[in-house]
Amino acid sequence: MATALFSHLKYSDCLTVVGISIFTAVVCEAISWVLIYRTSSYKSLKSTIDKASKKLETMKTTAPNGAAAEIYSKKSKTKKIDRVETSLKESSRDLSLFKLKSGGVVAVVLFMVFGFLNSLFEGKTVAKLPFVPFKIVQKMSHRGLSGDDMTDCSMAFLYFLCSISIRTNLQKFLGFSPPRGAAAGGGLFPIPDPKSS
Amino acid sequence: MKERKSAKVNLQEHQHQHQQNGHLSPFKLAKLFDPDASWDKDQLGDVLHWIRQVVAVVCGLLWGAIPLIGGMWIILFLVLSSGIIYAYYAVILKVDEEEFGGHAVLLQEGLFASFTLFLLVWTLVYSLAHF
Repeated sequence: MATALFSHLKYSDCLTVVGISIFTAVVCEAISWVLIYRTSSYKSLKSTIDKASKKLETMKTTAPNGAAAEIYSKKSKTKKIDRVETSLKESSRDLSLFKLKSGGVVAVVLFMVFGFLNSLFEGKTVAKLPFVPFKIVQKMSHRGLSGDDMTDCSMAFLYFLCSISIRTNLQKFLGFSPPRGAAAGGGLFPIPDPKSS
Repeated sequence: MKERKSAKVNLQEHQHQHQQNGHLSPFKLAKLFDPDASWDKDQLGDVLHWIRQVVAVVCGLLWGAIPLIGGMWIILFLVLSSGIIYAYYAVILKVDEEEFGGHAVLLQEGLFASFTLFLLVWTLVYSLAHF
């Protein structure tokens, strides 16, 4: 549709790529919602992480008052902090495992869309870059294009820009982005803590 | 001495708001410019994220419409956007950055998303308007 409206433009294909990316992002979030976000186990996990990270934060910021109680409270406080930290790490790991399930489905969808776009725009310049990208980026931005003009932009680079910016902002807008506490607690493969073993 | 705003003062209120929506809570617009308001990490992060995205779109539209050509304008965008973010939290809100994990954490908020969004808008406007 976009292509028909703007067919007089030389680079109207870029609108098609953006439109398809927006659509894909919405579909991916819908899949994630069905598989993860609406389930009660995800909700409880998320609230656990939020609570634990907030608790940890307040525990670390509040200083013990009273000189006499200081030694005793310091010891018990570190123990408490350790405990909360471990539970936070465990919950974050559970959350990542949980996300892996829908991540697989989303990856398949993204891969299929990429293949579809590739067949549509193979060897075609979909946009003109207003800058000359770095050598490493050129491999992607000039992928499958002939000619030496490095400001020619292939579909792959545009799709990459779209998928990152649109998806991140859509997730943020819908409130689906991972809780901040989880990022601090380590992902799926946390670095083993020598203290705990 | 600068008054330090404790995150736990409004913890209950924030938790309540957080459960309501999960991200941008329906807070008052006046709070965005109120140096006395207390912020929790999530709220401030969200606000900074969205400011960065708006700056990215505006810069992308401007750069593409003029049009500005060359890699140096990417650097100008990064400096401008980080400068706006820094000025916002350090000058307008006057938050204590240590409470939120330091300058690096606050300045990184939404950086990559805004960078790709800026490149996207710039490229789109440039390609569509000038060819």
